[in-house]
Amino acid sequence: MTARDTALARDTALTWARARSAGPLRVPAGTPAPAGMIKLPDAGGAEPGGPGPASPASAWLVPRVPETADARVLAEMGLPGPLLEQPNDTARMLAAVLRCCWEDPLAPVWPGVSAGSGPVLAVFREVTGPRDDAAHRRAAVAALRRLDQAGWARWDEPAGTVRLGPRVALWSSGDLATLRQLWRSIQAPERTSAIPALQPGAPEAAGPASPPEPAR
Amino acid sequence: MTSLFEPVLADLSERHRDEILAAFAAVENSPEPVPEAVATALRDATLRRSVEEMLNLIGRTLVRAGAGRWTSGYRDDIASQLTTGRLTGAQLTGQLTEGGGHALPVTDRAVLTLVLIHSVAIPRTEGTLTGDTWVEGTPTPVEELQRRTQLPRGELRQSLGRLRAAGLVRVVPARPRPGNGAQGTAYLPGPQFHRLTEAARRRLQEELILAAGPGTPLAAAIRRRRTHQSRTHQNGAPEKEHS
Repeated sequence: MTARDTALARDTALTWARARSAGPLRVPAGTPAPAGMIKLPDAGGAEPGGPGPASPASAWLVPRVPETADARVLAEMGLPGPLLEQPNDTARMLAAVLRCCWEDPLAPVWPGVSAGSGPVLAVFREVTGPRDDAAHRRAAVAALRRLDQAGWARWDEPAGTVRLGPRVALWSSGDLATLRQLWRSIQAPERTSAIPALQPGAPEAAGPASPPEPAR
Repeated sequence: MTSLFEPVLADLSERHRDEILAAFAAVENSPEPVPEAVATALRDATLRRSVEEMLNLIGRTLVRAGAGRWTSGYRDDIASQLTTGRLTGAQLTGQLTEGGGHALPVTDRAVLTLVLIHSVAIPRTEGTLTGDTWVEGTPTPVEELQRRTQLPRGELRQSLGRLRAAGLVRVVPARPRPGNGAQGTAYLPGPQFHRLTEAARRRLQEELILAAGPGTPLAAAIRRRRTHQSRTHQNGAPEKEHS
């Protein structure tokens, strides 16, 4: 191995480790994708806490392991899966984001479109069932923050918009077939939803706070 | 197949590839260490080496977590770059370098440090706890954390919730006190601490010594050794290579 190969291998290892620690990485568009990572052009929308509004000049790097080496193996081995707080609400919110941001289920899921947080909340309410308004909002805020931190969704709180996160680009064709059925089973959000957007800085769920996902 | 791992997997039979990939996935994703009994590639030393090689390619390493149990953690050289936030190669933007690359808010780091001090560091200093693991220890009751922290109760509770969900602390029942039958809640460091390598465990212990007793002879010895190591490093001593 030459010194150049060694340096390249080191950079690849470091970039994978950064993605494990911080989730999918936002990089300038010209950055080459390290081995094993997929590069996705950014579709726009601000990154909360990030370097400001996105532009076509940026891209996402997402690590991709072989399909037989992902987290699904745990269930086959009879091992417990990763910890997730409020798994039901989080899954329902992901379904709501998918329904609103994946306009055409025959098109690729990434990058999807931007949706107002109002319609997303309306779909979340629909799939969750009866609850009082404040409880709905608290659960929605906590779930959106969890999904945002883990890279499954991107929530631009000041703008009141939601997009799919770069991790959805890892879904296999088998996953997408199942998700298309789910998409069809959920009613479309109304174009002009009467439900106002989730307010920036809204309080999180009472009880245990929304956690950061285990870094992946 | 992802080409990154191809050099490790190319010459193996299909069965061995599957076993290695399954073991790789298990140690990377399982919140707890993986027993050898459920993963052939962790039992067999040759296959285990291939799992280690795969992990090395992505900045990780295999860590033994007690007899017959394995997990993965960051390679020591990679961990030091992640925590100093130094950039090499790809010029990554934004929050990655902020705060030295810490994924946790400062409040959570403070609460976690309290748990480490009260559950592990103090019992170890008193001699009631042996070994170098950061997972076993004396549970710290939540009242003790409330007394020692300067955070409001609500914030402490939220922080403990986040740390728990991230596997950095775990909840255990507190020992009932005399005259108080009710069982309270207590905290121990969580299963993520299994992922620390031997060097990382030592570094954590040293950092606590430097913070708690900067004027002690032990702290002076740690500083002396670190200065010596960084000089050796600067003088071009070869680094450990993993590739």
